[in-house]
Amino acid sequence: MIDLYQFRQELMTRGVFFCFSGPISQNLVAEMGTTLEQKMHLEEAGKSTILRVFSIVVENAQNILHYSAEEFPADKGGKKAERMLRLGILAVGFEEANYFVHCGNMVENEKVTVLTERLNRLNAMSKDELKQHYRKQRKQSSESGEDSKGAGLGFIEMAKKASRPIEFDFKPIDDRYSFFSMKIII
Amino acid sequence: MERLSLEPTKYTPEIDFDPEARRLVIRGRSYPENTSEFYAPVFEWLEAYLEEATDDDVTVNIELDYFNSSSSKALMDFCDILEDAADAGKRITVNWIYAADDEDMADMGQEFQEDFDRITFNLVERED
Repeated sequence: MIDLYQFRQELMTRGVFFCFSGPISQNLVAEMGTTLEQKMHLEEAGKSTILRVFSIVVENAQNILHYSAEEFPADKGGKKAERMLRLGILAVGFEEANYFVHCGNMVENEKVTVLTERLNRLNAMSKDELKQHYRKQRKQSSESGEDSKGAGLGFIEMAKKASRPIEFDFKPIDDRYSFFSMKIII
Repeated sequence: MERLSLEPTKYTPEIDFDPEARRLVIRGRSYPENTSEFYAPVFEWLEAYLEEATDDDVTVNIELDYFNSSSSKALMDFCDILEDAADAGKRITVNWIYAADDEDMADMGQEFQEDFDRITFNLVERED
């Protein structure tokens, strides 16, 4: 397929104005974040909105960076490589007067239940409950010293900043993996 | 005690800890790939400083435009160290400086303020 026009039309139909699919790096996270920030600034979005979208893009992109189950060694050391490159897809769009962030990556099947329960729990909480939950989790992870990457704080952060419940889906791929998709409306 | 200064990058904040002025500044954005790796030397410096410092007054300016969730945990640990020092008799003032039109950062500051009661925690609005 040489013609990317169809593919682009498909994205536009969904309201998507930015889309990335592939291996992600920290530099890419920063570049995507600042470019999107610039674009929204030109569209005269409010400062709080811009920062919320920026924040949700960063949390999602760093989730891929740390947790995507689709990975390959970042150097030629094979399985002994010090770092892994992880893959995922991230899209940002605008529909019905709201920005939204889409994110997808492979996860191990055994994580599906935990993630589903966690997201359902967050979706059932009010903004005040989310705030209390965030503080409790942050304190707990601080005291136990466990999970230096944030102990699920990222999901709570997204739920706090979202204007509607987080939509999500797990598509079974094979006996080891499922594809995890999320849509967060700001 | 030597001054600790780290230049800001796209995803790490400027760190300027000046023992002579007894003023510690964290400014910019914080979303490193590996948060504990970035903050390890910062915590190390802070603990050594609080142990060594004979002066009682320390001012800390936290002026962040954005931080990710793992940095939020690091900031919590940072304030825990300050709270312990306040318990031990130091007078610690934290200024949480945020842009006037940034509601989320104001809320975050308020949450920190409620979590720590031994340090003087000020919310400072900045007009951009």
